[in-house]
Parts: sequence; structure tokens; C-alpha cells
Amino acid sequence: MKSIKPRTLDHLKDFGCTVPALVLILIFTYWPIVRLIQISFTNWNLLNDSYKYVGFKNWKWLFTGSGTKYLLNSLKATVIYSCGEILITLLGGLILALIFNTEHPGYNVMRAVVFMPKYVAMSSAAVVFLWMLNTQYGVFNYFLTQLGFKPVDWLQDSHTAMLSVLMLTGWRAIGYGMIIYLAAMRSISKDYYEAAELDGATYWQRLRLITLPLLTPTTLFLFVTTFLSSMKVFQSIDILTGGGPYRSTEVFVYKIYQYAMVDFRMDRAATMALAFFLLLLLCTAATMRISRGKVNYES
Amino acid sequence: MKQLMRRSMLAFLATSMVAGGLFAQGGKEAAPKAAANDASKYEVTAPIEITWWHALENQYQPLVDEIVNNFNAKQDKIKVKAEYIGDYATVNETLVAAQAAGQGLPALVVANTPYVAQYGAAGLCEDLNPYIKATGFDIEDFGEGMIKASSYEDKQVSLPFLISTQVMYYNKTMADAKGITIPAYFKDMDSFLEKATEYNADGSTKVWGTIVPGWDQWYFETFFLNNGVNIINPDRKTTDLNGPAAVETTKTMGNWMKKGQAYFATGKGASANMRQAFIEQKAFSVLHTSSLYNTYVDRCKDFEVGMAWFPATDTRKQEIGGCVLLIPAKNDQQTKNAAWQFLSYLCSKDVNMKWAEGTGYMPTRKSVLETEEGKAFLAKKPAFQCIFDNLDNIYPRIQHAGWNQLASIWKSYLAQFYNEGKPIEGNIDQMAEEIDEALEDSLQ
Repeated sequence: MKSIKPRTLDHLKDFGCTVPALVLILIFTYWPIVRLIQISFTNWNLLNDSYKYVGFKNWKWLFTGSGTKYLLNSLKATVIYSCGEILITLLGGLILALIFNTEHPGYNVMRAVVFMPKYVAMSSAAVVFLWMLNTQYGVFNYFLTQLGFKPVDWLQDSHTAMLSVLMLTGWRAIGYGMIIYLAAMRSISKDYYEAAELDGATYWQRLRLITLPLLTPTTLFLFVTTFLSSMKVFQSIDILTGGGPYRSTEVFVYKIYQYAMVDFRMDRAATMALAFFLLLLLCTAATMRISRGKVNYES
Repeated sequence: MKQLMRRSMLAFLATSMVAGGLFAQGGKEAAPKAAANDASKYEVTAPIEITWWHALENQYQPLVDEIVNNFNAKQDKIKVKAEYIGDYATVNETLVAAQAAGQGLPALVVANTPYVAQYGAAGLCEDLNPYIKATGFDIEDFGEGMIKASSYEDKQVSLPFLISTQVMYYNKTMADAKGITIPAYFKDMDSFLEKATEYNADGSTKVWGTIVPGWDQWYFETFFLNNGVNIINPDRKTTDLNGPAAVETTKTMGNWMKKGQAYFATGKGASANMRQAFIEQKAFSVLHTSSLYNTYVDRCKDFEVGMAWFPATDTRKQEIGGCVLLIPAKNDQQTKNAAWQFLSYLCSKDVNMKWAEGTGYMPTRKSVLETEEGKAFLAKKPAFQCIFDNLDNIYPRIQHAGWNQLASIWKSYLAQFYNEGKPIEGNIDQMAEEIDEALEDSLQ
């Protein structure tokens, strides 16, 4: 019998240690994806135990049938929301990080205050915002009318509904962006700034030529994570608008939920979920590819 | 082989049952014996603990506890554990998830009336007909509409539990002071709203004549039904919501909104806003569910609350609301038997009166109306007379696989017509096209 080389044995041992984690990943991540693919080729109604295979019927419905317009509407709503959240987290977070990037004790408290909303559960925050944005009794409209403006139908007007959802998102996410940027700013070597100051660089020049380029890995990280989380938005939409008014906030995940739990069409929900999964995969891959070579890992 | 044997057994059982039925019909004395035998199939033979999922919020907890404790105390085999799951939508999601998982199902569960058809079609609910027959449960005592609303294709898949219907709540004190009567006919709504609405000096509305709930089509669909609109045509694939009668009704309602006499309440906080407007006397009347009668009466301290049947036409149709009780078919027979006993208790005449008194829901038993309890109930809640007078006008809700989508499209368009000024002409045809597409699609 041929003996196993010690190195191979070490590799096997290492692999053995990962097996429990791999099994869990297979069961809870990959098996559901396999099932999702399977369900998308059936006519499974969530209430029934049995189903039939229907070939590409659900895919045809989604891309060339009556499902297309709902798919496009959800895509539009999701992209609008996602752009809003990315803008708030990245730009808002960066601006706040630049403001709070100082050692003053008072600023420590303010940083904590800005970051605190991240700890508030989305469902609780959304319920509070629901009342703050109430047309008749909300605090937002109270102040607007006190200032002589007309009350705004925040959540019932298709022009302001998404903005209202983004207000809640911004309140929660901006502190997170700030903290991540702050941590990255603190890790930039002070030597760069000292050298630039000696050369007579202004604040804006230091920001443009040192801070921002060296923050690109952080920006990429924040962009990808915010993009992925924003595409999966559900709770705030469910509580604040329920996808309305007039489908203006009917984002992808909310539509998938509606197909599955309201219409009981698990087959359609699975098809849309898979299409969404592929879209996310493509977008993330494209982001990584485009950013290659443009991210500065110098710091 | 096993399958063949099982089939043979089933065939034998079926033949025996049919033969049994024939013999039972043949001799008068044989019937009670057969029923007794059948009843024994549904007896609980060993102690069992069962769970009941409900949607009765915290305010009803003492009543739920009292009724469940009474049941637990009056027999020693079944112990019921009542669990509040959430609103009807949450109960539906939890039930459907448990059904799909095939485990964690409750013994008994409430379901909002629109779900009955889908649950029935999918075989989620136990057919209660054999239980009713075997135990002699008096099903006929429920109103016809209630029996239909809780059954699916001749199968009694559930029993009516907490039942409500649409009503108009109005400020009776204000109505008496102004000499306003609630219109019995839809055509009289215009003149009624003119009298009931009050304006500020700048022309804005001070007191709304009424508020139309736009968050749930249930509240306004009977205006259309009574005006002769087929919300779903007999072909089950198209709608008549762009037909002449529907356009006329849509425009009439639109005129109320244009004149500031009514508003179309939409969005997540719309129900609470509407209620608050009525309590603060900023609305003369509101269209809502009869189940909220206690809530309105308790909260409106400064005036008397009146309740009226919806203005209608020659037909005075309204639809059933609230919830039914069902037994999931996937449970084992012992659990189902225990659930049936508890279900019979919950829907019994005495307990039904307790529910009606403790909540705003209405008595479901016809016989109650002639009893002392019924008279006492009316003496306590005289406003319910309008419902008692119209029990035969309460119909089951429209059942269609594409109903949710239809409702969503319809509500969305009406909100755009009434709240964003989108023209009705032309757009109503587009709405109908979208609904037709959704209806046809749902049948595939």
C-alpha cells in the first residue's frame, strides 16, 4: 500500500477542517439556489404540494410576456433607490468623515450620534418615519406648514415616495459611510500631508491628490457593499409604502415577495429571484472589472 | 402491491360507506346509530395539546383567555394554546410557510375571508362536511352568505368566525343637529354630501362629507356592484370596470373628491388617519368595517356614533369581511378531532355572542336574533339593527386567482384619478386592459 505524503496529509487535514463550514454553505446557500432553478421550471403554487415541469414558460412570461413590464418597473425602482443609497452613503459619508476627521473630544460624541441610527432596527425606524412623514399628523409637515409651505404628501405621491424612503435610508446609512471613511482616512500616512504642506499644497489640493486617491479601495468596498445591500431593500419599502403609490417604489425584492406570498406564485417568484441573482452577479463582476487598475492600494 | 392493497381497502371502505348510507336511509332507527358510529371517528381518545393561531390583538387578550380557559376547564382531554400571530396577512404568510414546509402547522387557524377559495382549491383545509354530519353540528343556523363565504365547491372548508361587513359610520349628533339623514340610495349621495360637507372661508374643506378608504377596494366595490358593474365578467378573463356603469360610478365618486366633499384615503397610515379625522369631527362620515364599531364608540367621546348600511340601488348587496376558522388538512386525525371540538365550541351560539359583545364583530347565528341574547345585544348596540335587517344582503366576496392583482391595479388607478388628477377618460380603458391581462394571466 502506498503511503500518503506528509504534505498531502496536511492538505487533507486542512480540508477536513473546512468540511463543516462547506457543508453548511452547501446546504444553506447553494442548495436553495439549485432548488430555485428547479422551481423556476415548474408551475408550483406555494399552497400545493405537487407541481408540474413547464419548461421555459416562466422565463418567457418574465422576458417576453406580461411579466416584462413589472420586471422593468421593478428594475427602474430598484436602480433609483440604489443610486440614492449609494450617493448618500458614499458622498454623504465622505463629507461627514472630512468634517469629523479631528481629535476634538466633542467631535467624538458627534461621530457617535451620527453613527447611532445604524443600531436602530430598520423596522422600528420605519414605523417612526411612517408617522413623521404622515401627511396630516406628521412632524415634517408640521414644520413645513409653520414655515409657510404647503404640506407634502410624502408617502402617497409618486414623486416623493421614493425620496421619503431614501430619507430613512440616509438617516441610517450615512453614519456607517462616515465611520468607514474615517477609519480609512486615519490609516493614510501623515508623511504625505506633511510633504504636500511643505510643497505649499492647499487643503483642496491635498484632498484631491492625496486623500481621495488613497480612499479608492474604501470607496470600492463601500460601493460594492452598499450596491448589494441597496438592491436587496425590502423592510423600509414594506413598512413605508408597500410598493406604492402606483408601483413607484415596487423594488425587486418586494415584487418577488408579492409573487410568492400574496399571489402564491412561487414559480414566478423563483424565476424573478433568479433573474435578480444573475443581474447582481453581473453588476458586481462588472464593478470589479471596471475598477481594476483604478483603485490605489498604496496606503 | 401495497398501493393495490390500499386502493382495494379504500374501495371496500367506500362501498361500505355507500351501503351504510343506503341502509341508513332505509330504516329510521338506523340513522342515529350510524351517526353515533361516525361521531366516534371524531372523538378525542387521549389527552392532547393543540395550538390555535389567531389575529386578535392585545386589546382582545382578556376575552381570548376567558374563552380558551373556559374550554380547557370544561373538558379534560384537550388543552388549547392560543397564539397571536399578527394581522391577517401575517397569519396567511405564516400558515402558507408552514404548509409548504409540511410542519409547524397549528391545529386551528383563522383566515381572512378572501383566502378561503385559494386555500380550498389547494386542499390546505380539511373538509368539514363529514365532521358536521357526524356530530350534528347546526350549520344551517349561519346565514347563507356566510356558509358560501366559508366553503369551496360544496365543501365546507371553514366555518364563519368573526364576521363583519362594510358600514357607514356617521356623526349622529351632527346629523340630528343639521337634520341630515343618511341616504339609502347611491344616487342621493351627491345631495347628502352637499349638506354634510363644511368649507373654510378660503374654500378648503373643514369637515369632509365622507372619506372613501382607497387602501382596500372592499370598501368601495359594492358601490360598483350595486350599480350593475361586473367587476369580473362571467368569462372570468375580463372586467367590466370600463363599461358605462363603471365609468359613471367612477366619475360620480371623482366629483365628490373634486368638490372637496370626500377624499380617497390611501397609503399605510390611511386607516388611522381616517379614524382620527372622524374622531376629531373633521369628517361627518366614514366608510369602514362594522368590526370597528366598539373602537369608534369608545373613542368618540364628544358625540354619538351612528351606523348605516351603505347607500345602494335596488340591490343592497354587501360583502362579507372578517375571518373564518379552518383546520389544516395535513394534521394527524387526533389533532384534527381535537381542533374540531374546539372549533365547534368557538362557533357555538353562546360563545359567538361573547365574541360579538366583546369585539365589534357581528353575531353569526340566525337563531340568535330571535333569542333573549340577541335582543339584549341589540339593546346594547342598537346601531347593529341596520346589519340585522340586511343579513340576507351580505354576500361572499369575489373569488378569483387574479383578484389581488385586479384589486391592486384598480386601487392604483383610482388613486391616480382622485388624488393626482389623472383624467378618467382613456385611462380607464388602459386600466381595464391591464386588469384583463392580469386576469387571463392568473388562470394560466
